[in-house]
Amino acid sequence: MGNAFFIVWRESVEAILIISILLAWIRTRGDTRIGVHHLWVGVAGGLALAGFLALAMLGMHGWLAAGALEMFQTAIMFVAAGLITHMVLWMRTHGRHLKRELESGLSNAAQSAGGASVAMLAAIAVGREGAETVLFLYGLAMEQSGDTLARLFAGAGIGFVLALATAWVILSGARWLPSRLFFRTSEIVLLLLAAALLVSGVERLIDMEWLPPLMEPVWDSSALLDDGSTAGGIAAAFAGYRAQPSLMVLIAWLGYWGVVTLLGRLQRRSAA
Amino acid sequence: MIPASPMIPATALAAAFAFGALAAPAVARADEMPTFEVVAENGRFMPETIEVPANTRFRLQLTNRNAGPEEFETSAPFKELVVGPGVTRSTIFPPLKPGTYPFFGEFHHDTAKGRFVAK
Repeated sequence: MGNAFFIVWRESVEAILIISILLAWIRTRGDTRIGVHHLWVGVAGGLALAGFLALAMLGMHGWLAAGALEMFQTAIMFVAAGLITHMVLWMRTHGRHLKRELESGLSNAAQSAGGASVAMLAAIAVGREGAETVLFLYGLAMEQSGDTLARLFAGAGIGFVLALATAWVILSGARWLPSRLFFRTSEIVLLLLAAALLVSGVERLIDMEWLPPLMEPVWDSSALLDDGSTAGGIAAAFAGYRAQPSLMVLIAWLGYWGVVTLLGRLQRRSAA
Repeated sequence: MIPASPMIPATALAAAFAFGALAAPAVARADEMPTFEVVAENGRFMPETIEVPANTRFRLQLTNRNAGPEEFETSAPFKELVVGPGVTRSTIFPPLKPGTYPFFGEFHHDTAKGRFVAK
């Protein structure tokens, strides 16, 4: 039971946090272009994606299928990292003029892209985290029966409820922030998340031997914060932290922030 | 192994990827990488102790003969590999310093335990 509880909590908390950050962000912005419905469409799509990924992993016989799935999952991470970055940078420039543009009735076709980004992002968050939960629960159903099974599913249920509670606690903390600070914080959280996805994607490319690790590890901070521990796992999922990073991963992470800073500066210059 | 280079400027992402693409063929010597096979069965791993060469990248090939899926996991270095029933997948481990590195099956936490011993 403890096992089921922990796995479901750990997998759900990540997806639920991402959804709640998006939800709070949409609400605080309060315009109709990116609506809450985009988010729920994304969540529904994510559940479907989770089922698909789990089925694909279950039915994965032979190397060809395995390789194709690996590539698909890697591609998802890069797409998600790109989408988040685009959404945050786009919001930064358009957020300021948004109200005036809406009032003067200037409809901007590009703005609908924001809603699609939110939907995609929610789908990817739910799909990625959900696939493992689906696999795990499927495994329980295959291998356990009767009483044990009921207890395990009870554990899974409690884990999910606790994940909701965890997200709620974090978000009600965020509600006390002034909206300017909230935007700033959620921007940074979203960008950190994009960097984390990029790191995972690069690691998968290294695993597939498409990229060399160059040098590994560059350092070992596992005594300080082990990325296999709960706190380290959260830092890994939300910021791309690695206790023993390879040089390639480090370049990707630093390079990401370099590119984001550069794009932010260019935007500011063109806005001025 | 490519020698350690000094810190590369933060904005060199594109260059890094281009460089990576060039350097990849030199690294992709699949035959030379030591491969270790592990079978997951009845919620356990066989063998449970795997002796690997220290300071060398190696490949782990996992075959799952459980009725349900298994997730092979190590916390240091952090690795996760989800394997459906009847499926074989592999992952690559970074060079390990001499020592013992436990691994476990996330979906069979109580029984699926093992360790790499790097020598």
